[in-house]
Amino acid sequence: MSTAIPTRPRDALTPADPTAKRKRKIREVLPLYLAISPFYLLFAVFGLFPILFSIVLSFMDWDGMGEMSFVGLAQYKFLLTDGRFWNSVGNTFIIWFLSTIPMLFFAMVIAFLLHQNIRFTKFYRVAFFLPNVTSMVAMAIVFGSVFSDTFGLVNSALTAVGLDAVPWLSSPWGIKITIAVMVIWRFTGYNAIIYLAGLQSISTDLYDAAKVDGANLSQVFFRVTVPMMRPIILFTVITSTIGGLSLFTEPQVLLGDSGGAGEAGMTIVLYQYNQAFTQFDFGYGSAIAWALFLIAAIFAIINWRLVSGRGDDTVRRAVRTKEARG
Amino acid sequence: MTALKPAAPKSTADAHRPNAHYVARGRLVAVVTHLCVITGVLLSIFPFYWLIVMSTSTTGEIFGYPPKLTVGSSFAENVRSVVSSVDLLQALVNTIIVSTASAALVMFFDSLAAFAFAKFDFPGKKPLFILLIATMLVPGSLSLVPSFILMSELGWVGTLQALIVPGAANAFGIFLLRQMAAGSIPDELVESARIDGAGFFTTYWRVGVPLLRGGLAFLGIFTFITAWNDYVWPLIVLVDPERQTLQTALQNLNSLYLTDYGMVMAGALISVVPLIGVFIIGSRHFIANIAAGAIKG
Amino acid sequence: MLGAGLLPLALAGCGSDPTISEDPDELVLWFWDRSASRDLLEQASQEIPGTDRHLRADVIGTSFDTKLRTSLAGDAYIPDITYINSNNALYFTNEDLFLDLSELGADSVKDDYYEWKWNLGTTPTGRFCFFPLDIGPTGYFYRQDIFEEAGLPSTPAEVSAAITTWEDWIALGTELKGAADAFLVNDALNVFEEFLNASPERFFDTDDKALYLRPDSAVRQAWDTSVAAVEAGVTAKIPRERDTDRNAAWASGRTAGNIGAAWWAQVLQQSAPDTAGAWRLASQPVRPGNSGGSFAALPHTCKDPEAALAFITWINSPENQAAAYQDESLFPSTPASFEDLTYSGDFYGDQDPLAFFSTAAESVPSSFISNAETFIMGKFVLELSNVETSGKDSEAAWNDAIGQAERVLLKRGVFS
Repeated sequence: MSTAIPTRPRDALTPADPTAKRKRKIREVLPLYLAISPFYLLFAVFGLFPILFSIVLSFMDWDGMGEMSFVGLAQYKFLLTDGRFWNSVGNTFIIWFLSTIPMLFFAMVIAFLLHQNIRFTKFYRVAFFLPNVTSMVAMAIVFGSVFSDTFGLVNSALTAVGLDAVPWLSSPWGIKITIAVMVIWRFTGYNAIIYLAGLQSISTDLYDAAKVDGANLSQVFFRVTVPMMRPIILFTVITSTIGGLSLFTEPQVLLGDSGGAGEAGMTIVLYQYNQAFTQFDFGYGSAIAWALFLIAAIFAIINWRLVSGRGDDTVRRAVRTKEARG
Repeated sequence: MTALKPAAPKSTADAHRPNAHYVARGRLVAVVTHLCVITGVLLSIFPFYWLIVMSTSTTGEIFGYPPKLTVGSSFAENVRSVVSSVDLLQALVNTIIVSTASAALVMFFDSLAAFAFAKFDFPGKKPLFILLIATMLVPGSLSLVPSFILMSELGWVGTLQALIVPGAANAFGIFLLRQMAAGSIPDELVESARIDGAGFFTTYWRVGVPLLRGGLAFLGIFTFITAWNDYVWPLIVLVDPERQTLQTALQNLNSLYLTDYGMVMAGALISVVPLIGVFIIGSRHFIANIAAGAIKG
Repeated sequence: MLGAGLLPLALAGCGSDPTISEDPDELVLWFWDRSASRDLLEQASQEIPGTDRHLRADVIGTSFDTKLRTSLAGDAYIPDITYINSNNALYFTNEDLFLDLSELGADSVKDDYYEWKWNLGTTPTGRFCFFPLDIGPTGYFYRQDIFEEAGLPSTPAEVSAAITTWEDWIALGTELKGAADAFLVNDALNVFEEFLNASPERFFDTDDKALYLRPDSAVRQAWDTSVAAVEAGVTAKIPRERDTDRNAAWASGRTAGNIGAAWWAQVLQQSAPDTAGAWRLASQPVRPGNSGGSFAALPHTCKDPEAALAFITWINSPENQAAAYQDESLFPSTPASFEDLTYSGDFYGDQDPLAFFSTAAESVPSSFISNAETFIMGKFVLELSNVETSGKDSEAAWNDAIGQAERVLLKRGVFS
């Protein structure tokens, strides 16, 4: 894939002078290292120390301000048998599953529609962007009111059409669904805007070609848009996986630090926050954080494999097909 | 795999045939499209509308039952309360400095790195990229104490650079722009720039930046928003009352027992409005078909 | 590399100047908005009376503890004086980071304060590190109109007389529910917490020996009482975190009461103004407790402890606490303050909440809140909510709570 330094032509042109070749090679590669260096330098200065600190912390007993004491693997041993932790893992995955798939699907559809040059596109764009900036304090009150068991708008609507009220905020599934709705609400527009930014880069020639071939809207969507967008879809899948597994703000805003009735809305990061910042058990908080790191890494790798697959080839072939015809 | 194959056998004449039925169906599709979009829009706007309602109401009205859904009359009073308890102007200036600097640095550093990762080869590329992705998984919230110690050793506590510099290049943006570049910057363009004798930085500026315009706009907008809304780290690292950000200043409106929610909501609204402006300006750069134009040119 | 080099530094806590202000005459205070009278702070910013220092008061919003603890852990940018919420027990294990105010002569004003509040500021080792600010004596807030409609006792005297025990209170709730379809309180946790807040015995003694495991312990009684309230159906099952729901329940009258502290009077008045005149206060069953109320402390790095203590004793003198009550509704921890205060308002009809709570404050028992409580309180809260919202068997819930508590206490080194 993206190996764009085509060394072949130049090799053919330059005579075999090893030192000159090496010098040229260094001259070519040096700017590349320079280009990527800011991130790694900043990471080395500001990121590495906190990471090492929190690794060390996971082998310590520390309340966040006093003396530390070494406890070996005790935090991790505790974690393995901690029912509340495993409950939070289960909750996190369920909420992730409930929210990510609809969110990314809606986002793609919205981006695709907004890309069709329909009228009022600019207004729609702003509208879909609003959930991302509406303050979370306000959100807590809004969602609390909308999904309230006894006084909520949703339940009023349900009972008005003759259905049963749903205990949104007091039953295990109600809580998870409400959190998932909140995530979908907040991040669909965000992902749609990423997709929109990606869609702009697809050559309209491809669309023209598809139209010329008589493809309808959904054929265009699935046969041109989706394959061309694969790298960006991969990006959103990976970032939503990481974001979903570190879900924190929504449950905390909606249910407080405790995760709601029966801790049905307790996510991994909320539990970690709980341990570190309300129980002041920083050692255990760190152990949870590293357990999450492990889970997220495994999950991200699986997702990467699933989504990327032969993705780049597809794009390439699509382009080639088009070029062959054009 | 089979991107366009099923469509290929159809003849071009098919699509060019004038057809009243086709036009009518087109209109139906447009109506359905608009209906879907409008439903989504209403759902998106509703909580924001509620924020406006709350910022114009008193605490009693906010918590009243049944909830009031019309705009109230206390906005001026709420804003006056905010202004009297918070040095809004100073906080606004600080926040604009932090957000603008963060967004500019992130856009520059991330796009440079992304362009290098997407379109060039160099020894160690793969492990370096994996390391980059791995840093996105690293838990962040526990780093408050060590980061504070670091800042205190550097003498940066209380300064705005403590908010800007550590995040001046981030893995998220590099990953995003790399994915965008991989899909949208044709290798041919990079290659032809090279044949013209352009070095990496020239190619980046002439080919990379124009083609990444949409992605850069997105990254800029959202870095700006993230910096604008950041709360916990600024709270820890800023120590002077006259050097606060909007969020740390507005959080001070929450008191121990009695919080004036009307005032808090007015503060929240004030802090959100500039972001909408930034979005409108930034999103102008989501323009279709730059890539195609560039290829032809 | 860099990290490894810095780590020892971090552990040694080596900083430059640990205080915030470079001005040698300036003492920095961290506090919450509305936790002190602005006029008095303004005065102190000119000069702290009786000293030649002046005060800089910095408001810290939410995440107060996180900010304070981070500064103390980093040993840098620490305020000279800090306010601390009612969770001061959190700081007991690190009490050496705070100065003993008795050593500085704070005892000379001890008699001005409620003894139980002064005791709450004393660490298990007997150091007095946390100086009394306001207090939160409790009572039972109820909707007189709804009680009256239901044909129940409705004046404060009648209700107080009808609910002298928790059993009576629950019995009254059963009648209320039958007659008016209204609940006594929003959740069982309200009962559990306020039962304990009014109890001389809590989870641990000062040696962190567990008291809650004894069969007749106060914690067990609080649990049984809460479970009885759930079983009688007198709680509305709306947990603490659902503010909006709770407010709607009180505003609509579906929940006709709350066991709350003096400061809640103001919260209620602000969030449910339409119910003005309908609310009254009755004495809490058995005896009143204390919920909330803050402290002031001097970090060990304080620039000038004498001047800092002078500020604390000055701003918390009976006269100044009376002023703070008038400015910010902070309920005084000095009985003498009430001599200067009168209540005006009709949110509670003709009842005077100031008189009600100042009387209640006299009967709050002295108790000890251990830091270890923080580790396990959550387990009891969770299990109680399981009983309340998902009908879990109360005995199983209790056993699960003490089982989980034991695990955590072993882990945190309280049990061995």
